[in-house]
Amino acid sequence: MKEKSRKIGFTCAYTPLAVIEAAGFTPHRILPLSEVADQAGQLLHDNICPHVKRVLDRALSGDLPDLQGVVFMNSCDAMRRLADAWRTARPTDPVTILDLPIGADDRSVAYFQEEIEKLATWLGALDGERVTGDQIVSSVRKYNQAATALERAAKSAAVGGLRGGRRALQELFNRSVTSPLDDIPALVEQQLQNNEPKKDALVPVFVFGNVLPDPDAFEMLASCGVHVVLDDLCSGSRQITELDVSRAATAWGDLSRALLSRPACARSLPSLLPGEHARRILSMAQESGARGVIAHVMKFCDPYLVRMPAIRQTLRNADIPLLTLEGDCTQRSLGQQRTRIEAFVEMIGGSPS
Amino acid sequence: MMLEYFNNLISGIEAKQHLGKSSARSRFALELARLGRGLYSGDGTVAWCGILAPFDLLHAMGVTSCFVEFVGAMLASTGTVGPMMEQSEQLGYSTDGCSYHRAVYGAMAQGLMPEPDFLIGTSAVCSAGLASIENLACHYGKEMLTIHVPIDDSPAAVAHLADQFREMTHFVARQTGRPLDPVRLREVIGRTNRMRELTLEVYRLARQVPTPARRRDLVNFGIVSALFLGSPGGVEVVEAYCNEFAEKVAGEKPGLADERLRLLWVQNRIQFANPLEKLLEQEYGAAVVADELNDINWDPIDPEDPFTGMASRALSVSFCGPAEHRLQVLLRLARDYRVDGAINPCHWGCRQGTGARGLLERGLREAGVPTLNLEVDCVDPRSFSEGQLKTRLEAFMETLSRRKSSGLN
Amino acid sequence: MAFMGVDVGSLSCDAVLVDDTGKLMGWTVVPTGARNIESIKRARSEVLGRTGLLESEVEALIATGYGRDRVEGRLAAVTEITCHARGIQALLPGTELLVDIGGQDSKSMRLDGKGNVMEFAMNDKCAAGTGRFLEAMARALEVDVGELGDLDRGAGGNVTLSSMCTVFAESEVVSLIAAGAEVPEIVRGLHRAIANRTVALVKRVAPASSGLKIAMSGGVARNPGVVRALGEALDCNLSIPAEPDIVGALGAALIAMERAQRQ
Repeated sequence: MKEKSRKIGFTCAYTPLAVIEAAGFTPHRILPLSEVADQAGQLLHDNICPHVKRVLDRALSGDLPDLQGVVFMNSCDAMRRLADAWRTARPTDPVTILDLPIGADDRSVAYFQEEIEKLATWLGALDGERVTGDQIVSSVRKYNQAATALERAAKSAAVGGLRGGRRALQELFNRSVTSPLDDIPALVEQQLQNNEPKKDALVPVFVFGNVLPDPDAFEMLASCGVHVVLDDLCSGSRQITELDVSRAATAWGDLSRALLSRPACARSLPSLLPGEHARRILSMAQESGARGVIAHVMKFCDPYLVRMPAIRQTLRNADIPLLTLEGDCTQRSLGQQRTRIEAFVEMIGGSPS
Repeated sequence: MMLEYFNNLISGIEAKQHLGKSSARSRFALELARLGRGLYSGDGTVAWCGILAPFDLLHAMGVTSCFVEFVGAMLASTGTVGPMMEQSEQLGYSTDGCSYHRAVYGAMAQGLMPEPDFLIGTSAVCSAGLASIENLACHYGKEMLTIHVPIDDSPAAVAHLADQFREMTHFVARQTGRPLDPVRLREVIGRTNRMRELTLEVYRLARQVPTPARRRDLVNFGIVSALFLGSPGGVEVVEAYCNEFAEKVAGEKPGLADERLRLLWVQNRIQFANPLEKLLEQEYGAAVVADELNDINWDPIDPEDPFTGMASRALSVSFCGPAEHRLQVLLRLARDYRVDGAINPCHWGCRQGTGARGLLERGLREAGVPTLNLEVDCVDPRSFSEGQLKTRLEAFMETLSRRKSSGLN
Repeated sequence: MAFMGVDVGSLSCDAVLVDDTGKLMGWTVVPTGARNIESIKRARSEVLGRTGLLESEVEALIATGYGRDRVEGRLAAVTEITCHARGIQALLPGTELLVDIGGQDSKSMRLDGKGNVMEFAMNDKCAAGTGRFLEAMARALEVDVGELGDLDRGAGGNVTLSSMCTVFAESEVVSLIAAGAEVPEIVRGLHRAIANRTVALVKRVAPASSGLKIAMSGGVARNPGVVRALGEALDCNLSIPAEPDIVGALGAALIAMERAQRQ
């Protein structure tokens, strides 16, 4: 039986994890969570996505687990630069970058399918197993099990039924991409055991944006009175989702379509649907039962920042309060925004008097 | 206001031409003004596009098209961009973003952007550019097509982009009610290829030591010429440059009388009036002879297979693909133009371009091309710190002068 | 029976006492200095001294401001946003938009006309346009910061500052003086720069601000030059309360009263 402890690093939620898993590797998300020296700006520029910079800092400091290779996605300008810089920072690492279409139409699906197939070939050259349609289906099944478990956890956290609350949920999200996948359902089960009554002082909020993997951040939000009932974050609920890939004969194409069609990061922009992202945010906010929305966006993230005025207007038109926070992957920056968060909670939580 | 501006520009240049006072640059300005007039006149079909849209193909379909950053640049060059920037801040656009686009949002809010009939976004050169097309589409309530530009130029990638260009013609035909006319397309491609030849010749002449190009001659030349591709006016512009440069080279009339240093300008130009380039010429005899965007690295378009050629053309742009591709383009330009150094105006808010600052600097340095990075906003003059930039430039130029005189090149 | 509000800001610590009808009984403003624990104590004892009340007569206390978590014996800590909204409602009822420019940060909030916040925006990343900014400029101009407000009278407005960064603006002012620009013109330029910056903050919470009842609070509201420039930029008549620096502390005191009375 092949040893399954070989790790392939990845940085983006669009990465076809099932293919990596099917090839006999363990995908390992390089999270921007460690305390390493700030060097990335010299190789790229200081004013670029902090997520990208922190990941690059980890590479430059050698603060990485033993990786057999790294997979990047063409999600955005910053990710492309990250891939470029990685080759300079760690020239001996096998590195590949997958092109990622911005739409989900048939042509895009076919193109991305080829990219996924190329990934499998690349993994093969790293001494990975040959990936068949059956294996993809079986891998996706595992990921779907994890996704289901995580969704249960998220729903529990929303009603206060998860031990450790949203903080614990984030730890689960993080572990789902850094620990063996098989462990996840059991880990979730453990956290579901206690039923903490929902604290009335907390106000239900929908949080959207991109990267917010630090469990401490959620602890901090809770201490400000925020109860996260739903999230749309790529380090959260968007990271591992159920994918409809059940037939071996069409597995590659199905996987491509499933990845391109699921809830998207603002970088995706299918033709003929301007404003779709804002509409999706609005409907998630309305369905979540939240009293307000917090946007947590990486500083310098153009896909999100350029869309914020439209999102703000959409929410304003629907009388849904919005607070925008900019993150830089440090607790410090979130801490500085404590007053804003508390003021927002006071504003939406009903009169403090 | 903008229409009046372009009309005045046109009549002014035409009047000078009538008096025999014409230069290639003024012919360029005339064509640019005519494009501006076409966009603002309200006649005909207007499309706002991403930078890598195939403008000749759109021209062949009777569409007056342009990339939105053009407006940002125009507003900056006419000194009217300040209020647009303020307006965009008030609308909630982050000041961390690229001001080419922010200027456009301000203009949009003030009714100074021509209303498009439809929009075509391209995923390259940048994410913010693509998002700006979406914002405009929402603001004007017009249909938007988006094109994914691949990150490599393999045959599969080229084919994918070519397919999308073909798809684009169907989209445009639906919008205008006019399908693509193959005869017209051939004509247009003929002109595109002619412009290509002529432009290569212009660059060949510009490479001479000393260069025949004066300071303003080739500023924004490459990027704006892409908008003229396939049009009769475009051919005339490039012909004018060819003739003028050929004359000057033959007559030994350099662009800068005492050219002592030759520079490569990276990324894009500072669009508003500023004293820096003049300072370089007057104090150091330094001429910007090469420009990253003044480059042709694509083959003639095959009229039998035009979409493939246009796709390859788009992917050949230095901003496409990995930073390594950009570096190779810059090194080739540095070599061909025999430059003494490079200046990289790291445009504020630019992730794709400025984001590669460190990598490019390294690569250029390793290849023996001294490089100066300047932190500057190329469109918003409000944060232009002349003193600081001058100091850095002067220090750099002194280094280059010393290297030159000690024969290090 | 009295209720206290304490606003622990970065530059000053304010304390306000109201009675059980919400009427203002007394207030004090104390410079914060390096150790805000000391300033908090001083402010509390000073305001009691001024009103002749004893500590034991204070039924409840709400703390607000940057250092709100350091106030002992508080009923709760409430952010300065909520407190300012409540305070301005008491001083200028029906206010629909409040602009507060303090020592080193500025904020704007849209109110429902009844003292509740509907939307707010803060600029606490840099000191541009705040009290600190004006202090630095006053130093560069060698005048007292309190004089700045009247120094731009009669200025035509031919000087525009290009940078809002406090550090660079200071250098720019020095260069302008050296180049012979007149002080009233420079000051007018400064005031206009602050106004423009503030307009952006207003538009974030009220894209259509004309016609709204707009008030201004914070130390910078004492500068008539800024108030005039801001009024011009927003095309409105700004209302300024008589004591613009204590709006937050007053709001906190009123919230203390309301919460205590509810229990």
